[in-house]
Amino acid sequence: MSAASATPLLAIRSLRAAYGKIEALKGVDLDINAGEIVALIGANGAGKSTLMMTIFGRPRARSGRIEFDGQDITGVPTHDIARLRIAQSPEGRRIFPRMSVAENLQMGADATDSSESDRASGLERVFALFPRLKERMTQRGGTLSGGEQQMLAIGRALMSRPRLLMLDEPSLGLAPLIARQIFDAIRTLNRQDGLTVLIVEQNANHALKLAHRGYVMVNGLITLSGTGSELLQRPEIRAAYLEGGRRE
Amino acid sequence: MSANPAAQTSRAPSAAFILKKSLISALVALVLFSLMIGVRTEAGPDGQLTYWTRFGDLAAIVAAVFGGSILIELFRQWWGPVDTARIVPAPVQGALSLAGRLIAPVLLAFTFLVPVLFYDERYILDLGILVLTYVMLGWGLNVVVGLAGLLDLGYVAFYAVGAYSYALLATNFGLSFWICLPLAGILAAFWGVLLGFPVLRLRGDYLAIVTLAFGEIIRLVLINWQSLTGGPNGVTGIPRPTLFGIPLTPGDDGLAAMLGIEFSPTHRIVFLFYLILALALLTNWVTIRLRRLPIGRAWEALREDEVACRALGINTTTTKLTAFATGAMFGGFAGAFFATRQGFISPESFTFHESALVLAIVVLGGMGSQLGVALAALAMIGGFELFRGLDQYRMLVFGMAMVLLMIWRPRGLIGHRAPTVFLERKEAISSDLVKEGHG
Repeated sequence: MSAASATPLLAIRSLRAAYGKIEALKGVDLDINAGEIVALIGANGAGKSTLMMTIFGRPRARSGRIEFDGQDITGVPTHDIARLRIAQSPEGRRIFPRMSVAENLQMGADATDSSESDRASGLERVFALFPRLKERMTQRGGTLSGGEQQMLAIGRALMSRPRLLMLDEPSLGLAPLIARQIFDAIRTLNRQDGLTVLIVEQNANHALKLAHRGYVMVNGLITLSGTGSELLQRPEIRAAYLEGGRRE
Repeated sequence: MSANPAAQTSRAPSAAFILKKSLISALVALVLFSLMIGVRTEAGPDGQLTYWTRFGDLAAIVAAVFGGSILIELFRQWWGPVDTARIVPAPVQGALSLAGRLIAPVLLAFTFLVPVLFYDERYILDLGILVLTYVMLGWGLNVVVGLAGLLDLGYVAFYAVGAYSYALLATNFGLSFWICLPLAGILAAFWGVLLGFPVLRLRGDYLAIVTLAFGEIIRLVLINWQSLTGGPNGVTGIPRPTLFGIPLTPGDDGLAAMLGIEFSPTHRIVFLFYLILALALLTNWVTIRLRRLPIGRAWEALREDEVACRALGINTTTTKLTAFATGAMFGGFAGAFFATRQGFISPESFTFHESALVLAIVVLGGMGSQLGVALAALAMIGGFELFRGLDQYRMLVFGMAMVLLMIWRPRGLIGHRAPTVFLERKEAISSDLVKEGHG
């Protein structure tokens, strides 16, 4: 990884968010530099998904600041955040089951005033990454397998030509081999196009191997951060997330 | 029978099962009908309650339920379980798909020819106008319910807004139909947005309740705002439409005189027929066009998964409001047409019954399917007329037909959803491969 630029692409400062009275984020600080893959790991209910959704404006931040490319986006409506070309592949894939694969992909481009040529080149890019989707173009989204649906969800997010791609648990419910394919695709995107990626994962081993840097979240707070390999070596990480409490 | 023990054993438990099921049905019928049919009450000559029993009728009904459920069970076994794949021979499949592709153009051509074929039959022309009105209403509601997936039980409100807009503008200010038509659409769309705002966060049953209430509010306002709407007396003397300023009257400036042909009141009916046909086709065309644009795609995506829409940065507020406004606008057009056709409107024409009927047309037709909605409108409205001879039993027939249809075709007559993004060249993927799985 080359030296990070002075201002990060995404900067989060003492961010707090809550669902009603339940505080999900209790003052989170996080930086994502351009061209980086950042992994956010943590147990169920740690607030990882909430952090990702708060960046996207829903739920709104109670306090703190989110800056994207130097611009404060803390109070910006969700659809305007999407226009800044931050894209999200939500947890559980959430593709549109009755719409065809092609329509699903077009939906991704719809939020960001894409021209016809943007759409065409976007499709080309997605099909180069996931040739399987090209074969399935006319099929309904709901007929795809889990792995193909995940590819579709990522492809749909890519159609908006994102500057920051946020992936929520892309390996959820996938066979290890398929999960590996997905992670490989993310690595390819980052290496070839320099795409900045925030990946939220429970599969800490995979995610940290993929990521340049990682953050560990516990109960709405960032407790640890460091490069992916550093974190992988930390005994507490190994104990908590990698070996089910076992120590070597 | 005893010669085939295998069949015997496979049948024996099912016979007991059928008997048991039918007995339960009969018992339910007995409980249900013992008061409804078994006892007849009426007010006597002095206002006192008199009643007598009709156990014979009750026994007949229960027996009919018992026998009927046996028949249905046998029929089901013969038919096989619902939703299992059956092998249909290729030629039959080919013929069916050909028929499927031809039905829309044939139907359209036939519709165009109706006034020619049935020129002398006023009844059929009137019925055709009625059917087309409901086709248009169905297509309008289809935008809201079928595409955007927002269950609207108060659609008649926009129909009423359109009708009253035209009626009041025309009678008070003497504006012509062609000026009032867009105004009626705009006003109805405005009310659609007005309804849309409070229900933005609501979905499913909650949305249905609010829209139902909205429909009733509009009707009650129409009844009670006597000074403006004339209350229960309605608005009379609504001007008939003109052919771009040329009236269809027997006078010297009428169309017949101008064309030098003999005047006939049928001219106006034929004109109305083509007018509503044009309006309905406009609705259809706009809907088809919109479906291929991002906004139409967003409507459908909203129906599929609202959370995913937000995750993609789709503005769900404007998406919902435009769906309400577009659907309402078409309802308003249909309302204006209704007012000019009737020449008289009153709140009685805009009851919940109308909303339910239009919704039934959309659901029966297959939500989102344009052809399905047209067929369903034809079946429902035409069917009402067809079964007029059955008198009070026709609702029974309709209820039954609807139940059966929903059992066998839960997605409606045409449950297939046409894709809106096409490949540049046609690929050899048969439609059988892309059917949706269940789950």
